[in-house]
Amino acid sequence: MELNNSKIKIKSKNLNVYYGNKQALHNINLEINNKEVTALIGPSGCGKSTFIRCINRMNDTIDICKVDGSIEIDGKEVNDKNVDVVTLREKIGMVFQKPNPFPKSIYDNIAYGPTIHGIGEKKDEMDKIVETSLKKAALWDEVKDRLNEPGTGLSGGQQQRLCIARALSVNPEVILMDEPCSSLDPIATAKIEELIDDLKKSYTIVIVTHSMAQAVRVSQKTGFFHLGKIIEVDTTEKIFKNPANKMTQDYITGRFG
Amino acid sequence: MSDTGHTVKSYAEEMQSLNDDLVKMGSLTESQLADAMEAVIKLDKESVDKIVKNDSKINALRSAIDNQITTVLVKRAPMAVDLRITISTMKISHDLERIGDLAKSVAKKVTPLPIDLPDELVNSLRRLGDLVQKQLKDVLDAYLNNSKEKAVEIWRKDEQVDDLTNLAMNEVANYLQKDKKNLEMATHLLFVTKNIERAGDHITNIAESLYYLIEGEYLEGARPKGKPLDS
Repeated sequence: MELNNSKIKIKSKNLNVYYGNKQALHNINLEINNKEVTALIGPSGCGKSTFIRCINRMNDTIDICKVDGSIEIDGKEVNDKNVDVVTLREKIGMVFQKPNPFPKSIYDNIAYGPTIHGIGEKKDEMDKIVETSLKKAALWDEVKDRLNEPGTGLSGGQQQRLCIARALSVNPEVILMDEPCSSLDPIATAKIEELIDDLKKSYTIVIVTHSMAQAVRVSQKTGFFHLGKIIEVDTTEKIFKNPANKMTQDYITGRFG
Repeated sequence: MSDTGHTVKSYAEEMQSLNDDLVKMGSLTESQLADAMEAVIKLDKESVDKIVKNDSKINALRSAIDNQITTVLVKRAPMAVDLRITISTMKISHDLERIGDLAKSVAKKVTPLPIDLPDELVNSLRRLGDLVQKQLKDVLDAYLNNSKEKAVEIWRKDEQVDDLTNLAMNEVANYLQKDKKNLEMATHLLFVTKNIERAGDHITNIAESLYYLIEGEYLEGARPKGKPLDS
Protein backbone atom coordinates (compact mmCIF):
# COMPACT_ATOMS: atom_id res chain seq x y z
CA MET A 1 0.00 0.00 0.00
CA GLU A 2 1.38 3.41 -0.99
CA LEU A 3 0.91 6.59 1.00
CA ASN A 4 -1.06 9.02 -1.05
CA ASN A 5 0.35 12.46 -0.32
CA SER A 6 -1.85 14.26 -2.79
CA LYS A 7 -4.89 14.23 -0.54
CA ILE A 8 -3.74 15.62 2.77
CA LYS A 9 -6.59 16.80 5.01
CA ILE A 10 -4.72 17.78 8.15
CA LYS A 11 -1.11 18.83 8.37
CA SER A 12 0.85 19.73 11.49
CA LYS A 13 4.13 21.58 11.17
CA ASN A 14 6.59 21.98 14.02
CA LEU A 15 3.76 21.73 16.49
CA ASN A 16 4.75 22.25 20.13
CA VAL A 17 2.43 22.08 23.11
CA TYR A 18 3.26 23.11 26.67
CA TYR A 19 1.30 22.56 29.87
CA GLY A 20 2.85 25.29 32.02
CA ASN A 21 6.58 24.53 32.02
CA LYS A 22 6.16 21.01 30.81
CA GLN A 23 6.46 20.44 27.10
CA ALA A 24 3.93 17.80 26.02
CA LEU A 25 4.60 17.79 22.27
CA HIS A 26 7.89 18.42 20.49
CA ASN A 27 7.97 19.54 16.86
CA ILE A 28 5.22 17.30 15.59
CA ASN A 29 5.13 17.04 11.81
CA LEU A 30 2.30 14.82 10.73
CA GLU A 31 0.10 14.57 7.69
CA ILE A 32 -3.35 13.02 7.85
CA ASN A 33 -4.94 11.89 4.63
CA ASN A 34 -8.45 12.73 3.58
CA LYS A 35 -11.08 9.99 3.95
CA GLU A 36 -8.70 7.59 5.56
CA VAL A 37 -8.26 6.30 9.09
CA THR A 38 -5.07 7.34 10.84
CA ALA A 39 -4.26 5.55 14.08
CA LEU A 40 -2.08 7.11 16.75
CA ILE A 41 -0.39 4.70 19.11
CA GLY A 42 2.08 5.02 21.96
CA PRO A 43 2.37 4.55 25.71
CA SER A 44 0.18 6.57 28.09
CA GLY A 45 1.31 10.17 28.38
CA CYS A 46 3.14 10.14 25.04
CA GLY A 47 1.09 13.03 23.65
CA LYS A 48 -1.25 11.34 21.21
CA SER A 49 -4.41 12.68 22.88
CA THR A 50 -2.82 16.09 23.26
CA PHE A 51 -2.15 16.01 19.54
CA ILE A 52 -5.72 15.26 18.50
CA ARG A 53 -6.98 17.89 20.95
CA CYS A 54 -4.92 20.42 18.98
CA ILE A 55 -6.86 19.59 15.83
CA ASN A 56 -10.16 20.92 17.19
CA ARG A 57 -8.52 23.32 19.65
CA MET A 58 -9.79 21.50 22.70
CA ASN A 59 -6.59 22.57 24.41
CA ASP A 60 -7.93 26.15 24.39
CA THR A 61 -10.06 25.14 27.36
CA ILE A 62 -6.96 24.50 29.50
CA ASP A 63 -5.59 27.75 30.90
CA ILE A 64 -1.98 26.68 31.30
CA CYS A 65 -1.82 25.12 27.83
CA LYS A 66 0.19 26.89 25.17
CA VAL A 67 0.35 25.78 21.54
CA ASP A 68 2.86 26.97 18.93
CA GLY A 69 3.64 25.81 15.43
CA SER A 70 0.96 25.10 12.92
CA ILE A 71 -1.97 22.81 12.25
CA GLU A 72 -3.72 23.21 8.96
CA ILE A 73 -7.00 21.72 7.79
CA ASP A 74 -7.44 21.92 4.04
CA GLY A 75 -4.51 24.34 4.03
CA LYS A 76 -6.10 26.74 6.56
CA GLU A 77 -4.44 27.42 9.88
CA VAL A 78 -6.54 26.15 12.79
CA ASN A 79 -4.83 28.38 15.34
CA ASP A 80 -5.50 31.56 13.39
CA LYS A 81 -7.13 34.24 15.53
CA ASN A 82 -9.94 34.67 12.99
CA VAL A 83 -10.99 31.04 13.21
CA ASP A 84 -14.29 30.64 15.02
CA VAL A 85 -13.85 27.70 17.37
CA VAL A 86 -17.55 26.78 17.28
CA THR A 87 -17.50 26.55 13.48
CA LEU A 88 -14.22 24.62 13.65
CA ARG A 89 -15.72 22.06 16.01
CA GLU A 90 -18.74 21.72 13.77
CA LYS A 91 -16.30 20.55 11.14
CA ILE A 92 -14.46 18.26 13.55
CA GLY A 93 -16.48 15.82 15.62
CA MET A 94 -14.99 14.10 18.63
CA VAL A 95 -15.71 10.84 20.42
CA PHE A 96 -14.18 10.03 23.77
CA GLN A 97 -13.05 7.05 25.76
CA LYS A 98 -16.19 6.83 27.86
CA PRO A 99 -19.48 7.36 26.09
CA ASN A 100 -20.86 10.66 27.32
CA PRO A 101 -24.42 11.11 26.11
CA PHE A 102 -26.28 14.17 27.40
CA PRO A 103 -28.85 13.40 30.09
CA LYS A 104 -31.55 13.90 27.50
CA SER A 105 -33.61 11.75 25.18
CA ILE A 106 -31.95 9.88 22.31
CA TYR A 107 -33.63 12.32 19.93
CA ASP A 108 -32.42 15.42 21.79
CA ASN A 109 -28.88 14.07 22.00
CA ILE A 110 -28.74 14.21 18.21
CA ALA A 111 -30.78 17.39 17.81
CA TYR A 112 -28.63 19.37 20.25
CA GLY A 113 -25.74 20.07 17.87
CA PRO A 114 -27.81 21.11 14.86
CA THR A 115 -29.94 23.34 17.11
CA ILE A 116 -27.01 25.34 18.47
CA HIS A 117 -25.64 25.68 14.94
CA GLY A 118 -29.04 26.89 13.73
CA ILE A 119 -29.71 23.90 11.50
CA GLY A 120 -32.96 21.92 11.25
CA GLU A 121 -35.31 24.51 12.71
CA LYS A 122 -38.37 22.83 11.22
CA LYS A 123 -39.55 19.65 12.96
CA ASP A 124 -39.49 17.47 9.84
CA GLU A 125 -36.01 18.72 8.96
CA MET A 126 -34.77 17.83 12.42
CA ASP A 127 -36.50 14.43 12.27
CA LYS A 128 -34.61 13.75 9.07
CA ILE A 129 -31.26 14.80 10.60
CA VAL A 130 -31.87 12.57 13.63
CA GLU A 131 -32.79 9.61 11.46
CA THR A 132 -29.88 10.06 9.03
CA SER A 133 -27.34 10.52 11.82
CA LEU A 134 -28.55 7.45 13.68
CA LYS A 135 -28.52 5.44 10.47
CA LYS A 136 -24.96 6.54 9.67
CA ALA A 137 -23.95 5.45 13.15
CA ALA A 138 -25.67 2.08 12.63
CA LEU A 139 -27.96 2.67 15.60
CA TRP A 140 -31.28 3.57 13.96
CA ASP A 141 -32.75 0.07 13.86
CA GLU A 142 -32.03 -0.43 17.54
CA VAL A 143 -33.54 2.84 18.78
CA LYS A 144 -36.12 4.04 16.24
CA ASP A 145 -39.02 2.97 18.46
CA ARG A 146 -37.72 4.63 21.59
CA LEU A 147 -36.31 7.97 20.48
CA ASN A 148 -37.84 9.71 23.50
CA GLU A 149 -36.15 7.48 26.03
CA PRO A 150 -33.01 8.75 27.76
CA GLY A 151 -29.73 8.20 25.91
CA THR A 152 -28.11 7.15 29.16
CA GLY A 153 -30.42 4.11 29.24
CA LEU A 154 -28.68 2.52 26.26
CA SER A 155 -25.92 -0.09 26.57
CA GLY A 156 -22.30 1.11 26.55
CA GLY A 157 -21.77 0.24 22.90
CA GLN A 158 -25.05 1.87 21.90
CA GLN A 159 -24.18 4.99 23.91
CA GLN A 160 -20.87 5.22 22.06
CA ARG A 161 -22.65 4.93 18.72
CA LEU A 162 -25.11 7.58 19.94
CA CYS A 163 -22.12 9.86 20.59
CA ILE A 164 -20.85 9.11 17.08
CA ALA A 165 -24.33 9.89 15.67
CA ARG A 166 -24.30 13.13 17.68
CA ALA A 167 -20.95 14.06 16.14
CA LEU A 168 -22.26 13.24 12.66
CA SER A 169 -25.43 15.33 13.06
CA VAL A 170 -23.64 18.58 12.21
CA ASN A 171 -22.01 17.19 9.04
CA PRO A 172 -18.39 17.16 10.14
CA GLU A 173 -15.47 16.45 7.82
CA VAL A 174 -13.16 15.01 10.45
CA ILE A 175 -13.92 12.67 13.34
CA LEU A 176 -11.46 12.42 16.22
CA MET A 177 -11.75 9.30 18.34
CA ASP A 178 -9.89 9.06 21.61
CA GLU A 179 -9.84 5.36 22.58
CA PRO A 180 -13.48 4.95 21.55
CA CYS A 181 -13.66 1.26 22.42
CA SER A 182 -11.66 1.04 25.61
CA SER A 183 -14.77 0.65 27.77
CA LEU A 184 -16.65 -1.64 25.38
CA ASP A 185 -16.97 -5.41 25.13
CA PRO A 186 -15.68 -7.24 22.01
CA ILE A 187 -19.07 -7.27 20.25
CA ALA A 188 -19.68 -3.55 20.82
CA THR A 189 -16.06 -2.94 19.75
CA ALA A 190 -16.62 -4.90 16.54
CA LYS A 191 -19.70 -2.78 15.80
CA ILE A 192 -17.74 0.45 16.25
CA GLU A 193 -14.92 -0.89 14.07
CA GLU A 194 -17.40 -1.88 11.38
CA LEU A 195 -18.83 1.63 11.63
CA ILE A 196 -15.36 3.18 11.30
CA ASP A 197 -14.82 1.15 8.13
CA ASP A 198 -18.03 2.52 6.74
CA LEU A 199 -17.50 6.12 7.89
CA LYS A 200 -14.07 6.43 6.33
CA LYS A 201 -15.73 6.58 2.91
CA SER A 202 -17.11 10.00 3.83
CA TYR A 203 -14.96 11.29 6.71
CA THR A 204 -11.35 11.69 7.73
CA ILE A 205 -10.85 9.76 10.96
CA VAL A 206 -8.08 10.03 13.53
CA ILE A 207 -8.19 7.39 16.22
CA VAL A 208 -6.09 7.12 19.36
CA THR A 209 -5.91 3.53 20.52
CA HIS A 210 -4.00 1.33 22.93
CA SER A 211 -5.02 -1.77 21.03
CA MET A 212 -2.44 -2.66 18.38
CA ALA A 213 -4.84 -5.15 16.87
CA GLN A 214 -7.45 -2.42 16.55
CA ALA A 215 -4.97 -0.07 14.88
CA VAL A 216 -4.14 -2.83 12.39
CA ARG A 217 -7.80 -3.58 11.75
CA VAL A 218 -9.16 -0.09 11.26
CA SER A 219 -6.40 2.19 10.00
CA GLN A 220 -4.49 2.77 6.80
CA LYS A 221 -1.78 4.92 8.35
CA THR A 222 -0.25 4.71 11.82
CA GLY A 223 1.82 7.17 13.83
CA PHE A 224 3.84 6.09 16.84
CA PHE A 225 4.32 8.72 19.60
CA HIS A 226 6.79 8.49 22.44
CA LEU A 227 7.58 11.10 25.10
CA GLY A 228 5.86 13.84 23.12
CA LYS A 229 7.67 13.09 19.89
CA ILE A 230 6.52 11.37 16.78
CA ILE A 231 8.90 8.47 16.25
CA GLU A 232 7.58 6.88 13.09
CA VAL A 233 4.68 7.33 10.67
CA ASP A 234 4.00 4.94 7.83
CA THR A 235 1.34 2.73 6.31
CA THR A 236 -0.24 0.58 9.00
CA GLU A 237 0.90 -2.51 7.17
CA LYS A 238 4.55 -1.41 7.26
CA ILE A 239 4.42 -0.34 10.91
CA PHE A 240 3.06 -3.65 12.16
CA LYS A 241 4.92 -6.01 9.85
CA ASN A 242 8.26 -4.32 9.50
CA PRO A 243 8.71 -1.00 11.30
CA ALA A 244 11.83 1.01 10.44
CA ASN A 245 12.49 2.28 13.94
CA LYS A 246 13.65 0.02 16.75
CA MET A 247 11.65 1.95 19.32
CA THR A 248 8.45 1.34 17.32
CA GLN A 249 9.29 -2.33 17.08
CA ASP A 250 10.00 -2.57 20.81
CA TYR A 251 6.69 -0.90 21.62
CA ILE A 252 4.45 -2.93 19.36
CA THR A 253 6.11 -6.23 20.26
CA GLY A 254 5.89 -5.58 24.00
CA ARG A 255 9.58 -5.06 24.65
CA PHE A 256 9.30 -1.60 26.09
CA GLY A 257 11.09 -0.21 29.16
CA MET B 1 16.75 -15.89 16.91
CA SER B 2 14.40 -14.21 19.38
CA ASP B 3 15.87 -11.90 21.98
CA THR B 4 14.59 -11.95 25.51
CA GLY B 5 13.54 -8.31 25.67
CA HIS B 6 9.81 -8.98 26.05
CA THR B 7 8.18 -7.36 29.05
CA VAL B 8 6.17 -10.57 29.51
CA LYS B 9 8.73 -13.22 30.40
CA SER B 10 6.58 -16.17 29.33
CA TYR B 11 6.25 -14.65 25.85
CA ALA B 12 10.04 -14.52 25.55
CA GLU B 13 10.21 -18.11 26.74
CA GLU B 14 7.68 -19.22 24.14
CA MET B 15 9.64 -17.54 21.35
CA GLN B 16 12.87 -19.04 22.68
CA SER B 17 11.33 -22.49 22.77
CA LEU B 18 10.23 -22.13 19.12
CA ASN B 19 13.78 -21.21 18.22
CA ASP B 20 15.25 -24.12 20.20
CA ASP B 21 12.93 -26.66 18.61
CA LEU B 22 13.65 -25.36 15.13
CA VAL B 23 17.41 -25.61 15.73
CA LYS B 24 16.96 -29.14 17.05
CA MET B 25 14.88 -30.03 14.01
CA GLY B 26 17.50 -28.54 11.69
CA SER B 27 20.24 -30.56 13.28
CA LEU B 28 18.22 -33.82 13.06
CA THR B 29 17.37 -33.16 9.42
CA GLU B 30 21.03 -32.50 8.65
CA SER B 31 22.01 -35.89 10.14
CA GLN B 32 19.20 -37.67 8.31
CA LEU B 33 20.22 -36.24 4.96
CA ALA B 34 23.89 -37.07 5.63
CA ASP B 35 23.00 -40.65 6.66
CA ALA B 36 20.77 -41.12 3.62
CA MET B 37 23.50 -39.88 1.26
CA GLU B 38 26.08 -42.09 2.89
CA ALA B 39 23.76 -45.08 2.54
CA VAL B 40 23.40 -44.35 -1.18
CA ILE B 41 27.08 -43.78 -1.85
CA LYS B 42 28.24 -46.79 0.16
CA LEU B 43 25.14 -48.80 -0.77
CA ASP B 44 24.84 -49.47 2.94
CA LYS B 45 21.56 -51.36 3.21
CA GLU B 46 21.97 -51.92 6.96
CA SER B 47 21.41 -48.29 7.87
CA VAL B 48 18.11 -47.91 5.97
CA ASP B 49 15.86 -49.01 8.83
CA LYS B 50 17.45 -46.58 11.27
CA ILE B 51 17.03 -43.68 8.85
CA VAL B 52 13.38 -44.55 8.22
CA LYS B 53 12.75 -44.78 11.97
CA ASN B 54 14.47 -41.49 12.76
CA ASP B 55 12.18 -39.58 10.43
CA SER B 56 9.41 -39.75 13.03
CA LYS B 57 11.54 -37.61 15.40
CA ILE B 58 11.57 -34.83 12.82
CA ASN B 59 7.83 -35.16 12.26
CA ALA B 60 7.19 -34.99 16.00
CA LEU B 61 9.17 -31.77 16.27
CA ARG B 62 7.21 -30.27 13.40
CA SER B 63 3.94 -31.07 15.14
CA ALA B 64 5.28 -29.59 18.37
CA ILE B 65 6.28 -26.40 16.55
CA ASP B 66 2.86 -26.18 14.85
CA ASN B 67 1.16 -26.44 18.23
CA GLN B 68 3.39 -23.85 19.81
CA ILE B 69 2.79 -21.47 16.94
CA THR B 70 -0.98 -21.83 17.20
CA THR B 71 -0.69 -21.00 20.90
CA VAL B 72 1.55 -17.98 20.27
CA LEU B 73 -0.85 -16.65 17.62
CA VAL B 74 -3.83 -16.98 19.95
CA LYS B 75 -2.13 -15.76 23.10
CA ARG B 76 0.16 -13.03 21.83
CA ALA B 77 -1.10 -11.82 18.44
CA PRO B 78 2.58 -11.29 17.53
CA MET B 79 3.56 -8.12 15.69
CA ALA B 80 6.50 -6.98 13.57
CA VAL B 81 9.61 -9.13 14.15
CA ASP B 82 7.70 -11.57 16.37
CA LEU B 83 5.12 -12.01 13.64
CA ARG B 84 7.85 -12.63 11.10
CA ILE B 85 9.63 -15.11 13.40
CA THR B 86 6.37 -16.98 13.96
CA ILE B 87 5.42 -17.17 10.29
CA SER B 88 8.95 -18.02 9.15
CA THR B 89 9.44 -20.67 11.84
CA MET B 90 6.27 -22.37 10.67
CA LYS B 91 7.38 -22.32 7.05
CA ILE B 92 10.97 -23.39 7.80
CA SER B 93 9.79 -26.27 9.99
CA HIS B 94 7.57 -27.51 7.18
CA ASP B 95 10.45 -27.37 4.71
CA LEU B 96 12.73 -29.23 7.14
CA GLU B 97 10.10 -31.88 7.59
CA ARG B 98 9.85 -32.32 3.82
CA ILE B 99 13.66 -32.60 3.56
CA GLY B 100 13.43 -35.31 6.22
CA ASP B 101 10.80 -37.13 4.15
CA LEU B 102 12.95 -36.88 1.04
CA ALA B 103 15.99 -38.22 2.92
CA LYS B 104 13.86 -41.15 4.06
CA SER B 105 12.71 -41.80 0.47
CA VAL B 106 16.31 -41.68 -0.75
CA ALA B 107 17.33 -44.18 1.92
CA LYS B 108 14.49 -46.55 1.06
CA LYS B 109 15.71 -46.73 -2.55
CA VAL B 110 19.05 -48.13 -1.35
CA THR B 111 17.58 -51.54 -0.51
CA PRO B 112 16.86 -52.70 -4.09
CA LEU B 113 19.99 -51.14 -5.64
CA PRO B 114 22.79 -53.45 -6.91
CA ILE B 115 26.19 -53.07 -5.27
CA ASP B 116 28.06 -52.69 -8.56
CA LEU B 117 26.86 -49.32 -9.80
CA PRO B 118 29.26 -47.52 -12.19
CA ASP B 119 31.73 -45.22 -10.43
CA GLU B 120 30.78 -42.21 -12.59
CA LEU B 121 27.19 -42.56 -11.50
CA VAL B 122 28.01 -42.93 -7.81
CA ASN B 123 30.40 -39.98 -8.04
CA SER B 124 27.81 -37.75 -9.67
CA LEU B 125 25.33 -38.57 -6.90
CA ARG B 126 28.02 -37.90 -4.31
CA ARG B 127 28.75 -34.47 -5.77
CA LEU B 128 25.07 -33.57 -5.83
CA GLY B 129 24.53 -34.90 -2.31
CA ASP B 130 27.59 -33.08 -0.96
CA LEU B 131 26.40 -29.78 -2.38
CA VAL B 132 22.86 -30.17 -1.02
CA GLN B 133 24.22 -31.13 2.40
CA LYS B 134 26.51 -28.09 2.32
CA GLN B 135 23.53 -25.92 1.37
CA LEU B 136 21.52 -27.29 4.30
CA LYS B 137 24.37 -26.73 6.75
CA ASP B 138 24.87 -23.20 5.42
CA VAL B 139 21.22 -22.26 5.63
CA LEU B 140 21.03 -23.50 9.22
CA ASP B 141 24.16 -21.52 10.07
CA ALA B 142 22.67 -18.48 8.36
CA TYR B 143 19.58 -18.90 10.55
CA LEU B 144 21.67 -19.09 13.71
CA ASN B 145 23.72 -16.05 12.67
CA ASN B 146 20.73 -14.11 11.37
CA SER B 147 22.59 -13.52 8.12
CA LYS B 148 20.56 -12.27 5.19
CA GLU B 149 23.70 -12.13 3.00
CA LYS B 150 24.24 -15.85 3.54
CA ALA B 151 20.55 -16.48 2.81
CA VAL B 152 20.87 -14.74 -0.57
CA GLU B 153 24.09 -16.63 -1.34
CA ILE B 154 22.42 -19.98 -0.63
CA TRP B 155 19.37 -18.98 -2.65
CA ARG B 156 21.58 -18.19 -5.66
CA LYS B 157 23.54 -21.40 -5.30
CA ASP B 158 20.49 -23.54 -6.03
CA GLU B 159 21.43 -23.09 -9.68
CA GLN B 160 24.46 -25.30 -9.05
CA VAL B 161 22.21 -27.92 -7.48
CA ASP B 162 20.15 -27.94 -10.67
CA ASP B 163 23.29 -28.31 -12.79
CA LEU B 164 24.59 -31.23 -10.73
CA THR B 165 21.14 -32.80 -10.85
CA ASN B 166 21.25 -32.69 -14.65
CA LEU B 167 24.68 -34.30 -14.68
CA ALA B 168 23.51 -37.07 -12.37
CA MET B 169 20.42 -37.60 -14.53
CA ASN B 170 22.70 -37.97 -17.56
CA GLU B 171 24.73 -40.60 -15.72
CA VAL B 172 21.53 -42.49 -14.91
CA ALA B 173 20.54 -42.28 -18.59
CA ASN B 174 23.96 -43.67 -19.60
CA TYR B 175 23.55 -46.51 -17.12
CA LEU B 176 20.21 -47.36 -18.66
CA GLN B 177 21.53 -47.16 -22.22
CA LYS B 178 24.29 -49.65 -21.42
CA ASP B 179 21.77 -52.38 -20.70
CA LYS B 180 18.00 -52.24 -20.95
CA LYS B 181 17.81 -54.66 -18.01
CA ASN B 182 18.92 -51.75 -15.85
CA LEU B 183 15.53 -50.11 -16.34
CA GLU B 184 14.12 -50.85 -12.89
CA MET B 185 17.30 -49.76 -11.10
CA ALA B 186 17.59 -46.68 -13.27
CA THR B 187 14.06 -45.71 -12.26
CA HIS B 188 15.04 -45.96 -8.58
CA LEU B 189 18.13 -43.89 -9.27
CA LEU B 190 16.10 -41.20 -11.03
CA PHE B 191 13.93 -40.94 -7.92
CA VAL B 192 17.03 -40.71 -5.73
CA THR B 193 18.41 -37.89 -7.90
CA LYS B 194 15.11 -36.06 -8.06
CA ASN B 195 14.59 -36.35 -4.30
CA ILE B 196 18.00 -34.86 -3.57
CA GLU B 197 17.23 -32.02 -5.95
CA ARG B 198 13.84 -31.47 -4.26
CA ALA B 199 15.63 -31.26 -0.91
CA GLY B 200 17.70 -28.48 -2.50
CA ASP B 201 14.48 -26.66 -3.44
CA HIS B 202 13.26 -26.80 0.15
CA ILE B 203 16.59 -25.36 1.27
CA THR B 204 15.98 -22.50 -1.14
CA ASN B 205 12.54 -22.02 0.46
CA ILE B 206 14.21 -21.85 3.86
CA ALA B 207 16.63 -19.21 2.58
CA GLU B 208 13.62 -17.19 1.36
CA SER B 209 11.81 -17.52 4.70
CA LEU B 210 14.97 -16.50 6.53
CA TYR B 211 15.42 -13.46 4.30
CA TYR B 212 11.81 -12.43 5.01
CA LEU B 213 12.31 -12.95 8.73
CA ILE B 214 15.33 -10.64 8.76
CA GLU B 215 14.36 -8.04 6.18
CA GLY B 216 10.57 -8.01 6.35
CA GLU B 217 10.53 -8.20 2.57
CA TYR B 218 10.46 -11.05 0.11
CA LEU B 219 13.48 -11.94 -1.99
CA GLU B 220 12.82 -10.40 -5.35
CA GLY B 221 13.20 -11.89 -8.80
CA ALA B 222 12.74 -15.34 -10.22
CA ARG B 223 14.48 -18.28 -8.64
CA PRO B 224 17.82 -19.12 -10.20
CA LYS B 225 17.52 -22.00 -12.65
CA GLY B 226 20.19 -24.37 -13.86
CA LYS B 227 20.78 -25.33 -17.48
CA PRO B 228 18.09 -27.61 -18.93
CA LEU B 229 18.76 -31.32 -19.13
CA ASP B 230 20.71 -32.33 -22.24
CA SER B 231 18.54 -34.26 -24.62
